[in-house]
Amino acid sequence: MAGLLVKGGRVIDPATKTDAVMDLLIVDGRIAERRPAGEGKAGLPAGTKVLDARSRWVCPGFVDMHVHLREPGGEHKETIESGTRAAAAGGFTSVACMPNTDPWNDSLSVTEYIVAEARRRGVVNVFPVGCVSKGGRGEELAEIGDMVRSGAVAVSDDGRPVGNSYLLRMAMEYTKIFGIPLIDHCEDTMLSAQGVMNEGYYSTILGLKGIPKTAEEVAVGTDLAVAGLTGGKLHIAHLSTRGGLDKVRQARRDGLQVTCEVTPHHLVLTDRAVADSDFDANTKMNPPLRGEEDRLALIEGLRDGTIDAIASDHAPHHQDEKLVEFDEAPFGITGLETSVALVMDRFVRPGVVTPARFVELMSRNPARILGLAKGTLAAGADADVTIIDPDAERTVDVTRLLSKSRNTPFNGWTLRGWPVATIVGGRLVH
Amino acid sequence: MQEETRLHAGGRKGAAAGARSGPAARPAARRPVADAGEGGQASARIDPKVAGPGTERSIVALKHRHLLGILGLAAEEITLILDTARSFAEVSTRTIKKVPTLRGKTIVNFFMEPSTRTRSSFEIAEKRLSADTLNFSLSGSSVTKGETLLDTARNLEAMAPDMIVIRHKASGAPHFLARHCRSNIINAGDGWHEHPTQALLDAFTIREKKGRLKGLRVAIVGDLMHSRVLRSNLFLLETMGADVVACAPPTLTPVELSRLGAQVTFRIDEALEGADVVMMLRIQRERQKGGAFPTAREYYNLYGLTAERVKRARPDVIIMHPGPMNRGVEIDSAVADGPYSVILEQVTNGVAVRMAVLYLLAGGTLGGIAG
Repeated sequence: MAGLLVKGGRVIDPATKTDAVMDLLIVDGRIAERRPAGEGKAGLPAGTKVLDARSRWVCPGFVDMHVHLREPGGEHKETIESGTRAAAAGGFTSVACMPNTDPWNDSLSVTEYIVAEARRRGVVNVFPVGCVSKGGRGEELAEIGDMVRSGAVAVSDDGRPVGNSYLLRMAMEYTKIFGIPLIDHCEDTMLSAQGVMNEGYYSTILGLKGIPKTAEEVAVGTDLAVAGLTGGKLHIAHLSTRGGLDKVRQARRDGLQVTCEVTPHHLVLTDRAVADSDFDANTKMNPPLRGEEDRLALIEGLRDGTIDAIASDHAPHHQDEKLVEFDEAPFGITGLETSVALVMDRFVRPGVVTPARFVELMSRNPARILGLAKGTLAAGADADVTIIDPDAERTVDVTRLLSKSRNTPFNGWTLRGWPVATIVGGRLVH
Repeated sequence: MQEETRLHAGGRKGAAAGARSGPAARPAARRPVADAGEGGQASARIDPKVAGPGTERSIVALKHRHLLGILGLAAEEITLILDTARSFAEVSTRTIKKVPTLRGKTIVNFFMEPSTRTRSSFEIAEKRLSADTLNFSLSGSSVTKGETLLDTARNLEAMAPDMIVIRHKASGAPHFLARHCRSNIINAGDGWHEHPTQALLDAFTIREKKGRLKGLRVAIVGDLMHSRVLRSNLFLLETMGADVVACAPPTLTPVELSRLGAQVTFRIDEALEGADVVMMLRIQRERQKGGAFPTAREYYNLYGLTAERVKRARPDVIIMHPGPMNRGVEIDSAVADGPYSVILEQVTNGVAVRMAVLYLLAGGTLGGIAG
């Protein structure tokens, strides 16, 4: 393969403590060399193409560790092909896809199908997350060893919490064999009791059934205790409450191996959006949008390092499924194509988080949590690169998204700071 | 900064016909307000105030296309509806109980939840206004064949009705319809959210009995959590300057209710003390299975309105209930049928109030009512 020179960009790679304008030479799908900017064409392999990256940020490829690609079984919402195209458009070079497909990804055959389909039609790297339990039913362990052998990088019963604390213990013990994390959706479903939005002032005004913050806090508490008991690797998905975050912060001080992620929508919106949108089902997701106090706490967690990763929880749904009464609509919104711009516009550009920290949250940390050899632009690394124009201004237009679904509350939002090129294994995929 | 969430009032009409200035400088009504500055970009969608603080004017026409809820209505609009209802109350006392006001208008009563009182009240109101009405209910409709609300709405819309009156079990269903239909939408009760015509008829009844709303102490007792009647009444009474005390077991009290302006207690005796008005809310028996209280018997013992308890209220108290009642659970028959009860008057007034709402949403003005 001919070389590609990413020229004159600001290379931000916290893994190598780099933040400088330089050229990046990619050869044969790997980072071949990092050269001082403007060093002419001397020494470049013949036929090297040049990608002008002046005034752009050149970052190690972003990893969205929590997406739903819906295939197999939910191809009317998204496919591995459409989902990975959306990922590429959104600046992601790798995604980890959750197992709540139909059938659930609870066995070697489903994992192999996902891996094979991603090779055939996917445009970014796809890392399957296998089930903790058979069918995600929370009763008995799935064949985790088989799934890991075929490419699973973590286990989760996402969409649901792991069935019960006994199974959770067994799973956290068992996953130690493979060194993979258990990703848990922390929700005490007895407490959330079929709620549809955050329980608080706005649920009371709107007469919608509330999901108390306690439903998450209780489950986080249980998970941390079991992680302490077993010494397994725990990763908490889409944290949404101040209380949950405080527990993680404390557990980490106590020396526990625990990591966590937060979504852009929980960082940007609150439950007030349900009221302001007159019950628009695109403000319905699980965990629900919380109160302002929680939102501010999560931002503090971004700043102080408690939060390891930003993940979109990209949850596409067909518009026939979302264009219904709020109570009837499924939970979830798309996120792959708005995630980077939301974080750039709201947190990076205003200086809430530094560019280096941003790259850790979007690339290095999720790669590390999942044990991927990604998240760096060191010489020899896979040439997965995300290029961002920090000044580009664009308005989100659902009709132009590459995802098959349009369920986003951010349609019409004008944001600054967009991904402009995505390179996977040395190939420009967007 | 006081900002109102753009919640319920629905789209506004282009121009309010013939607004004239009236007595100014009445104090601005207290009403639930959203946290200023909370949330992201979505918070930019704020409805402009109908009238700025201290500039309350009397008006003769409604500024909204839909009646989706009480929250978002200004005090002057509520007063307009009540004043208009008063004119219509007289119609129902005539031998020929009909005026030609809405002749040629088609109104669909789209009731996706069982209802006797509200539906018949709307239907009588529509007929007394000479509108053509179509009743559309859950049983026997294509909804039971799996049709979505959106498709049902589009199909209704295709028949070009002027107004759709909707009752639905899901909070926000009328707002959904308002987004997808051109007709005027009237909320006849959505989930636990709002039941605006009930609150209006309750306010009308109180005003007839007490001559005012402002400064009255109104106790609302019962299942607060699941009650659209509570929410609409609370928004209305707060807007009109009454003092609301809301009472329920904590298991049936929604969180942060006091931020909506009510005094909240779980002791019924405290709630009834000095009350000018007592509104009882229905207790649904399935709440007991949900764990909110152990038995209907215990609920009655703790929260049932008995003649003995009524003594704590003012001697001229009125007792209200939106129906249907559970006698012997939330209210004793001696009270329901007793001298303080105005429960059947509420039903009578419901017709006049709904006539007023239909008339005003159709573009009618106070003073323009045809004989």
